Amino acid sequence: MGRFLLKRLGAALVTLWLATTLVFLVVNVLPGNPGRQMLGAQAPNSEVERLNERLGVYRPLGERYVDSMTDLVTFDFGTSFKYDKPVMDVLRPSLWRSAKLAFLALVITIPLGICAGVFAARRQNKIQDRAVVMASVATSSVPDFVNATIISSLFCVTLGLGSVFATPDSGAGVFEQFRVMIWPALAMMLLYFGYIARMTRAGVIGALQSDYVRTAAMKGLRPGVVMRRHVLRNALAPTITVVSTQVGYLLGSILGVEVVFNYAGVGRQIREAVGTQDVPVLQAAVLIVAVVYVLATILADVTIASLNPRVRLGGGS
Amino acid sequence: MTSTLEPAANLPRGSVRDAKYVSERRQARQERWRLLRRRPSFVIGGVIVVWWTLCALFGTWIAPKHPENDRIEPYLKPGAKALFGTDSTGRDVLSRVIVGSRDVLRSAPAAALISVALGVTIGLILGYFGGWIDLVFGRIIDAVLVLPAVLIGLLATTMLGNSAPVVVGVVAALFTPIVARTVRSAVLAERDLDYVTSARLRGESSWFIMFREILPNLWGVIVVELTIRIGFAIFTIATLAFLGAGPQPPSPDWGAQVQDTYASDIVSGFWWTAVFPSLAIASLVIAVNLIADSIQAVAED
Repeated sequence: MGRFLLKRLGAALVTLWLATTLVFLVVNVLPGNPGRQMLGAQAPNSEVERLNERLGVYRPLGERYVDSMTDLVTFDFGTSFKYDKPVMDVLRPSLWRSAKLAFLALVITIPLGICAGVFAARRQNKIQDRAVVMASVATSSVPDFVNATIISSLFCVTLGLGSVFATPDSGAGVFEQFRVMIWPALAMMLLYFGYIARMTRAGVIGALQSDYVRTAAMKGLRPGVVMRRHVLRNALAPTITVVSTQVGYLLGSILGVEVVFNYAGVGRQIREAVGTQDVPVLQAAVLIVAVVYVLATILADVTIASLNPRVRLGGGS
Repeated sequence: MTSTLEPAANLPRGSVRDAKYVSERRQARQERWRLLRRRPSFVIGGVIVVWWTLCALFGTWIAPKHPENDRIEPYLKPGAKALFGTDSTGRDVLSRVIVGSRDVLRSAPAAALISVALGVTIGLILGYFGGWIDLVFGRIIDAVLVLPAVLIGLLATTMLGNSAPVVVGVVAALFTPIVARTVRSAVLAERDLDYVTSARLRGESSWFIMFREILPNLWGVIVVELTIRIGFAIFTIATLAFLGAGPQPPSPDWGAQVQDTYASDIVSGFWWTAVFPSLAIASLVIAVNLIADSIQAVAED
C-alpha cells in the first residue's frame, strides 16, 4: 500500500506542475494587452503602461516563470488587484463556505444516486430502468445556473419555501443553516445525482453478469446478501472514481449556483473577480480547484485499492 | 440481381469486391439508423434539436416580435398579449427566446467540431506511434483534465476579451485532450489487428495507415464523442455567457438573458424573464444528451 500511495503521489505532483504551467501560459503567453483589457478602451495609455509594468508584462518569460513557480510552492498566490491583500486572505472565508455547501450536496446525493442506480440495474431494460436512465441523463446535463434559476424562482419566490439569499447568518444554528442552504444544494444535487446513478447502474449490471455473483447465488445466498457482499463491493469502484472527479468539478461549477442564490462562497467571489478583472484571484481559484481535484482522485484510488487487493498489489489493470 | 446487368467481366476484380463491401456497410448503417429511430429518447431529443435549429436559422421570421426593438408593456405576465410575458423594458420574452438560440447553436457545435478534429488527429498519432510522444502528451492531457473548464474559460476571456471566437477557441482547446484520450485508446485496440499489419507489410506509409485504414473503423467512436462534446460545449458556453463571458445584453442569447434578469426580476416575483430562457437551455442540453446516449447505446450493441 505504501508504494502504491507513493507512486500515485508522484504522478499527482507531475500533473499539478504541468497544470500550473498551463495556467501560467494562459495568463502570460497568450497574445493581447492585459493592461488595456483590464482598464478598458477609455483608459489613458500611461495608466495601461503602468499596469503592464506592475503585471510584469515586459520582463523576460523565463524569469516570470521561475518567479511564479517559487511563489506557488510557498503557497503565495500574489496580491489581489481589487483588495490589495494577499489572494489567500481574500479567498479563505469563502472557500470554507463553498466546501460546506458542496459537502451538504454530496452527503445527500451519494446514497440517493447509489440507490437509484441499484434499483435501475436490477430492472435492466424494463420501464423503471429506462425512466431512471432518462432522468439521470436529463439532470446531469443541465448547467447548474439553470437549475438554480428555476429552483430559486419557482420554489423560493413563487411558492415562498425558501430564500434567494442563501448565505446563513454567522452564528446560525445547524438546523437554520440547513434550512437556508438546502435550496442551492438541491440545484447542485440534480447535477451529481445523474452521474452517480448512471455509474452505479453500469457497475452493478457488470457485476451481476459475473461468475462470482452466479456462484454466490448458486450456493444459496439470499439476494440481499449477494447484493451487499458481492455485487456492490465490486460495482462501486467506477462510482467512487466518478464521485471523486465530481468533487473537483463541484468546486468548479459551483459558480452558477452561488451567484444565483447570492451565496457568499468562492464561486461568487470568482464572478466578482471576473467583473473587476482580478487575474490573481482567478488564477488562484483555478489552481485551488486543480489541487482539490487531484487530492480527491488520490483518495478515490486509495479507497478502491483498499476494496480490491488486485489493484493494490499491481495485478489486473 | 439479374446476370445480364452485371458487367463483371470488364471490371477489375477489386472494385466488385469493394462494391459488395460498401453495400454491406450501407446495410449496417441502415440497421443502426432503424435501431436509433425505435428509441424514444432519440426521437424526443431529435425533435427538440430540430426545433431549436430551425429557430437559430429562421428565428427572426418565426418570432412574433422583434427581439430587441419591439416594446409592448414592461413586465406583462405570460398570457394572451405575450405568451411568455415581457421583460423590464417591455420586450417579448418568447421572441427573445426563439432568436436567442442563435448564438449558442453557432458556437457550441463549432467548438465541438474543432475539438473532435484536433483530438482525432492527436489521438491517432499517440495511439499509433506510442513511445515517448504518447508518454509526454499523456501527462499533458492529465494536466488539462485537472483544470476546471468554466474557470479557465473565464480566465482566458478576461485576458483576451470575450468575443465569440475566443470562447469557441478556449472551449475547443479544453475539450481536445479529452477527445484525444478516447480516440487514443480506440486506436490501441485496432493497432495490432491483421488489417493494420498487412497494410504495414504492403509498405503503406504511417499516415495512410492512420487516416485511410484505421480512421474509417473509428467512426462509431467519433460520432459518439462528437455528440457528447456538443452537449458539454452547450453546457460550458451557456455557463460562460451567464457569467458574463460571451454575448452581452441586449443580445437575446439565453445565458446573457438569464444573467441580465436573474438578480433583479426573480426576487420581485417576475419569474418568467429568467425561467423561460433557462428552460430553453435545459431543453437543448437534455435533448443533445438524450441523442448522445442513444447513439452510444446503439454503437455499443
